[in-house]
Parts: sequence; C-alpha cells; structure tokens
Amino acid sequence: MRRARLFLPLLLLVGVAANAATAFPPIAYKHRVLPNGLEVYTVQDRSAPTVAIHVWYKVGSKNDPDGRSGFAHLFEHMMFKSTKNMPSEMMDRLTEDVGGFNNATTFDDATAYYEVVPSNYLETLLWAEADRLGTLNVDDANFKSERDVVKEEFRFRILAPPYGRMFYALTKHSYAKHPYKRPGIGSIEELDASTLEDVQAFHRTFYRPDNAILIVAGDFEQEQADAWIDKYFTPIAKPATEIPRVTIQEPAREAEQRVTEYAPNVPLPAVAFSWLVPAASHPDAVPLQIVSTLLGEGESSRLNEKLVRGEIAQEIYTESDTREDLGIFIVFSIMGSEHKPEEAEKVIRAELASLAEKGPTAAELEKAKNLVITGALRERETSNGKGFTLGESIVLYRDADFVNTGLTKLQAITPADVQRVVKKYLLEGKPLVLTYFDESAKTPKGGAE
Amino acid sequence: MKRSIAAFLIALPIFAQSTPPAPAAPRETKVPQPAEKTLDNGLRVIVVSKHNIPLVAARLMVKAGGAMDAKGRDGLASLTSTVLTTGTKTKSAEQIARGVEALGAMMDADAGWDNSTIDLSVMSSNLPKAMEYMADVARNATFVKDEFERERAQAIDALQVNLRQPRTVAGAVASRLIFGDAPYGHTLEGTPQTLEAIKREDLVKFHAANYRPDNAVLVLAGDIKAEEAFKLAQSLFGSWKGSGPKPAAATASSKPAKARVVVIDMPDAGQAAVSVGRQGIRRTDPAYLRALVANSVLGGGYSARLNQEIRIKRGLSYGAGSSFAPRAQVGPFVARTETKNESAADVAGIIVDEMGRLSTSDVPEAELVPRKAVLIGEFGQSLETTSGIVDQISALALHDLPLSNINAYVPGVQAVTAEDVRKFATSNVGSDMNVVVVGDASKFLEPLQKRFGEVEVIKFDELDLNSATLRVRKAKQ
Repeated sequence: MRRARLFLPLLLLVGVAANAATAFPPIAYKHRVLPNGLEVYTVQDRSAPTVAIHVWYKVGSKNDPDGRSGFAHLFEHMMFKSTKNMPSEMMDRLTEDVGGFNNATTFDDATAYYEVVPSNYLETLLWAEADRLGTLNVDDANFKSERDVVKEEFRFRILAPPYGRMFYALTKHSYAKHPYKRPGIGSIEELDASTLEDVQAFHRTFYRPDNAILIVAGDFEQEQADAWIDKYFTPIAKPATEIPRVTIQEPAREAEQRVTEYAPNVPLPAVAFSWLVPAASHPDAVPLQIVSTLLGEGESSRLNEKLVRGEIAQEIYTESDTREDLGIFIVFSIMGSEHKPEEAEKVIRAELASLAEKGPTAAELEKAKNLVITGALRERETSNGKGFTLGESIVLYRDADFVNTGLTKLQAITPADVQRVVKKYLLEGKPLVLTYFDESAKTPKGGAE
Repeated sequence: MKRSIAAFLIALPIFAQSTPPAPAAPRETKVPQPAEKTLDNGLRVIVVSKHNIPLVAARLMVKAGGAMDAKGRDGLASLTSTVLTTGTKTKSAEQIARGVEALGAMMDADAGWDNSTIDLSVMSSNLPKAMEYMADVARNATFVKDEFERERAQAIDALQVNLRQPRTVAGAVASRLIFGDAPYGHTLEGTPQTLEAIKREDLVKFHAANYRPDNAVLVLAGDIKAEEAFKLAQSLFGSWKGSGPKPAAATASSKPAKARVVVIDMPDAGQAAVSVGRQGIRRTDPAYLRALVANSVLGGGYSARLNQEIRIKRGLSYGAGSSFAPRAQVGPFVARTETKNESAADVAGIIVDEMGRLSTSDVPEAELVPRKAVLIGEFGQSLETTSGIVDQISALALHDLPLSNINAYVPGVQAVTAEDVRKFATSNVGSDMNVVVVGDASKFLEPLQKRFGEVEVIKFDELDLNSATLRVRKAKQ
C-alpha cells in the first residue's frame, strides 16, 4: 500500500563488487552537482523501457518539530497534494495512470520520494519533482483529510497488530536524548496539534535543492536526461538561510535497562533487546550487519536454530538498524506457547557470549556473506532497487561509492572482526530489555512501569 | 511598482513551464520468450533466459494445494510444504537449511489453493548445487515425526498471533461466507483445531499422491541458457517417478448461499477491519481480462474508486482495495479496508455503493484508459525480475493455458471496453455481497443495522472458523 514504508528495515545496504564466484556488474553512476547545490546521480540501464526517479531529502523523523512527533512523515503525505502547478494527486495522474507507480518513505534521517514510469515519461516526472521541490500549496481541507489518513496509518501499524505497540515502545525507550526516541509515526495527539502553517514552514526549511539528492536510474539517453535535469532543476533558487541540523548527541548507556509493556490482544509474550551501535558510516557497521545475519537470517541462523527450532520461540527477528547517528541493534523474539521471555533472554545472551568467545566458523561466516550478496543482487534487479541502494549509500553511509565498495568490505570481514564487534557493542554494551505481555497479565498492583 | 530587471530575470524561469511536458514516443515492453521441453517422465520444464544480473529464480510446482485438503484437515497442503524441507532420505533439517543458505540461496516451500511450490532464488553460479536440494526435498522428503510435530506446534502458535488481527479474522470469515463448507471456504493455514487433527501419515499420503513428475512443472528464469537448464532438469529429475494413478482435480466450488452480514465483536480492537465479498471467476473464464479491468477501476490500485472514496476523499482509511483471485475453480472476489471503529459502517456502505455503481453506469473513457494502463504497467514491471517472470509463466502453466498468452495480455487488456466492464459487473460485482466487520461492535452496530438490516453478531471468543455457521457449537443443554 502506498506511502507505506515508514519503518522499512535497512538490511541490505551493502554494495556489489567482484566476488570469487561471480562477476558482479557494478552500479556505474555518474555524479554532478548543480550550481544550486542539488546533487545529481544518474545510472543508465536500458534493459527494460522503464525509469526510476528518486528525490531524497536530508530530513527525516529526527527533524520533527518540538511537540509535533510524526510531523516529517505527515509532511511526506502532503507532498502528494497541490503545488503551484499541480492539483492534488497529480503525481498519481503522471505515474499510476500511465502504468507506473509512485511512493515515498520517511526514514529517521531522510525522506525518499520515488516514481517508476515508462521511460518516455522521464521528462514529465523531472518537471513534477522540480515543481514540488519549488512550491507546495496545500489547502486546509486537504491537510485535515490527509492527517486523518495518517491517523488511520497509526491505527493500522501500531494499534491493530498484536506486536505493533511493542516496536513503538522499543523505539521510545531505546534513546534517552536523541530525537530518534520519537517513533516516526508520531502520536494521535501530536498529529492533531500540527497545522497548515507547520507544513509551509517545514517545506521552506528543508525542501531546498542544497538539501536534496536526485537519482535517475534506468532507460534514458545521458545527454537528453542531463539537459532536462538542468532545465527543470537549475532555476530553483538556493535559499540563503542555514539548514538546521540535529546535533544532540546520544549519551552512552550507563546501565542495562528493563521495561515491561502490556497491550490488548497479545496472544504470546515477547522480548526485545536493543543496543546502541555506531553510525552507518562507521567501519563497524558492516561487521554488525553480518552479526545480524549470523544471528537471525535464514533457518540455519543461530537464533533460529536455538530458539525457533528449539521450540522456545514462535518467531525471531534481528536487525542492525544503523543510522546517520547512533543506531540500534535489535533482537526480538515472540515466545512459543508455554514459554517465558526469560528463556529466550538466556539463549540470546549465551549465543552472544559464544560468538564473542569463539567467533563464527569459516563456513558460517561465508554463508552469511553469501546471503547478503544474493539479497543485494535481488535488490539490483530493478532500476528502482538500484535507486534505493544508491540513495541509502549516499544519505546513510555518506559515501555514494559504498554502493560498489560495500561488498568488498563485506568480503574482507574475518571471524575476529565478528568477535570484536559482538564483544564491544553487544556483550559489553548495555541493552534495553523490553518484555511484552497481554494486558490480562498485568497484576492489580501494576507491572514494572 | 518598482522591480529590478535582474530580479525579474532570475525569478522568471523558475516556473516558466506551468504544465507538464508531454511524453516522448514509448519504447515497447520486451515480453520474454519461453523455451520448453517435457521430460520422458512427464515433467514439463520451461525456461526464460535473461542475463543482465547473475541471478536465477526457479520454481518446482505441483498441481495440488489447499483445495485438496481432506475434510477436517484444513491446512494439510500448507503443513506438507512446511515440513517438506525438514528432512530427506539422506539429509536432516539442519543439513538442508545450512546447505542451501551456504550457497546464499533462498529456498521456500509453500502451498497455494491449486498448487504447491518449491521456490529457489540463487546466484547463477550456485544454481546447480542449490537445485540438488530442491530435487531432493521434492523427491525424497521423509516427514520425520519430530519435525512434523515441531512445525505443527509452530503453525498453531503462528495462527494464534495472526487470528488476533482484525484484518486476518475478517478475511477468514469472508472465505466462509463466500464458500461455506466447500474447498475454498477454509483458510490455507487451517485452524488450531484442524492442525491438531492432522497426522504425519496425512502428509506422507499428500506428498506421495501429488508430488510426481507428471503432475509437476519446473520453471526457471534468469541467467541460464535453455539447453543448460534442460540438462540440469534431466540430471536431477529424469529418474523421478510417480506411482499409482494421477491425482484427480479438486471438486468444484459450491453454489453461493444467501449473502450474510456478520459482525465479529472484538471490543478492544484498535481498528476495525471490513471485508465485502462474493464468488468471482475461474482463471480460465473467458471474462478473465474483463474481470481484471473491472477490478482495476473499482479497487485495484491507489487511484481506483474504493481508495479514492475512502482514503483520498474522506480520510477514513490508510488504504482500501479489492481483488479477484481467479483459481482452478471459481475463486473469491473481495474488497477490504481498515478504519477506526466509529466509521466501519460508513465504509462498508461506501464499498457496497461503489460496487453497485460499476454496473449502473459506464466507466468514462478518461477513467478507463488509465486503469488499463495500470494493469499493463504492472505486467511490464513484473517481467523485470526473475521471480516475477517465474510467477507469470507458472500461473499460465498451472491452468494449462498457452504460454503464448503472455504476448496476448497487453492487447487483451487494451481491447476491454466500458460496456464490457458494465456487463461483467452486472453479473459478477455488486449483487449478493457478503459483508464482514471485525472490531468493537458497540461503535458501529447501530449504523450498520440501519444500512444493512439484519446483522449477525458473533463474539470473538465464540467464533468458530471451522464451520459455515461460524459459531462454536454450544454444549448440550
């Protein structure tokens, strides 16, 4: 469903490079900067008659104004409403109606807008993206109706699913100071508090060419595409004002924290861990991704074998959610019936200790690398996938070339690297441990909160 | 008014163009040309070569799925697929999972309504090794008792989680209303009760009867040449044999019963789920493309009517849509959405009204053309990935449709007229609709009754998905 990928896990961020077994085509991008500061990346692939257009803005949920939690995401929805030259939903007319699609994703650090269209519509979409970067002209009726949609999205993601409130709570408790602690979806109250004036101010502050990255991937002629990009984007003025940046530093965790949450309709209890991990651009981000793969990806991953095959857990999930600033490493387990969260907790801690002490076997490490490489290949099958992986490299890794060097870095990881990062960030790091139960389990005296 | 010329010149080009530039001439979508061969044992092998990425998607499909679940054993095909990959004559579950994943491959066995599949996605250099695992589980699965019991317990726990979501419950109830006790009336995953009733021997029997070369199709797409693929298929499946007669096809769906309006009362539901449905069409129905176009207008995609009315105009939901699921037998046609409890009755009314409108007036050309473009565009996009090509080809093969249909899709969609849509909708959309609302009934029951008249209300803890009555049978009085 559209405008859906608010909490997209950023799992497969590594690039493609030469591999012993297979020669990988690199993503051969061209880069230039327009005089107004817009970064432009183009990647030609003429194998299918479609083209993907991405505009990534360096503004995300962490930039929600005070008392307006959820605003960056709400704003993302408003970018599909009227501009000076386009009525509301015209983006749909220019994409969906001609056999393409559009969508947008609000991350913690960035917001990505993207379209895939038959390649003969490239110029049309470049015009449209330039238009909504230049002006936004939303009216109050549109604003209020779209705000109701976002409130339904909140109910859909957080209130209706049995474990929706758990991920919400995990985000909230994982950070003490950094605005990452505010869940990107926001809250009903703070969404209700936002106004049309907030929308205009946010556009003015963050939607400007020197805060944006344009990526065009797919079927186009280079000179023609460059000329269109110049024609539509160059005239957009670069404001003289500074772009406000989040500078709050998240302090290191002094001690382990425990939180218990209760919610309706939770059939099986669950437990989640989060540890603070360094930024995506830190060299340890790559080995941490391998650690997540070793622990949780595939049936033969360590926690799947121990917890799910071991019949302690119904499901497990791991993710190294690295961000522009400090990220979180997540391990999550829904318990099997008759099993308690402390059983999973014990196994998770034991596996971390074993991984830190003995490291992965050579074959196990090779397996994890192969899984990540194949995942990256699958993502690169489409122009849109190439646009995504390039955008993530630029914004989160702060290095476009990571899209091609990331895999070389991944291939170079040794068992000792894995041991070191597990020990440093997870074993010796201070976790937040969140347990989650049905509200019927709450004693009259109240739980831990 | 004083304005400097310099400022004027700078300001002028910003929105020099106030209307979108027109498109250039289109380039044609390349439709893949499949090569095929049938092995002596009856296994049909179909290959689509595409060499831009060193990746291959492969699917082994047998033509039997959830529609064949034995009475009272709902979920059998699904559980058979799950246990299939957990042991063969020569390999344990761990050996299979570790072996496949060591190759960076994903192997996934799954059951649909009319088929069961083993899917593989792997770097082309590792394809031959990964295919050995696929062939081994298809041919030599042993359904070890411990693994069966473990997977069954897992499946029951998963159901416990999923059946607490209003949207999952609404979907399951809608299936019962549409098909009653007929094969498509249950859910593919079964219920905790039917899973408890399944025995290991049921899986062994299902496997022996249905997993056989003359009931199977192997489809490969991606970085492999047809001749190599045929050779690989011959070496891994050439000696595969079935025993006994070929399995019979599943029985036809039942005639639709009287449509019902049912509320499942979940007082603490954070959001209500609404499903509206009836019987649709078979995949081989000559009206297939008309159904797709009609649905594209009504509820297939972001700008289709249901999402226009419910989300875009009224802000009542994060999304609303509908779909036909054409199957070997007549499949369901269902519209669904989620909304706050207070607006559930409103939304159900909008859905039924929109369905009605499709048969009372012709879709304007200005609306029909883009809705057809949506279908054509999605079709082209699906052909950009190896797994998308496998999906398209295996769907044709499952229903014994000519593979050349892949060339007929775009012109076929384009040929559908507004009159076709209205006629199709008159007999297939809008009348005899079953309505299901799952949520906090106190917030929508009254307006729902006002709109629909008789409404059956079933408390969530008295809901029995195993019977068409949907109610737990009361103990003897």
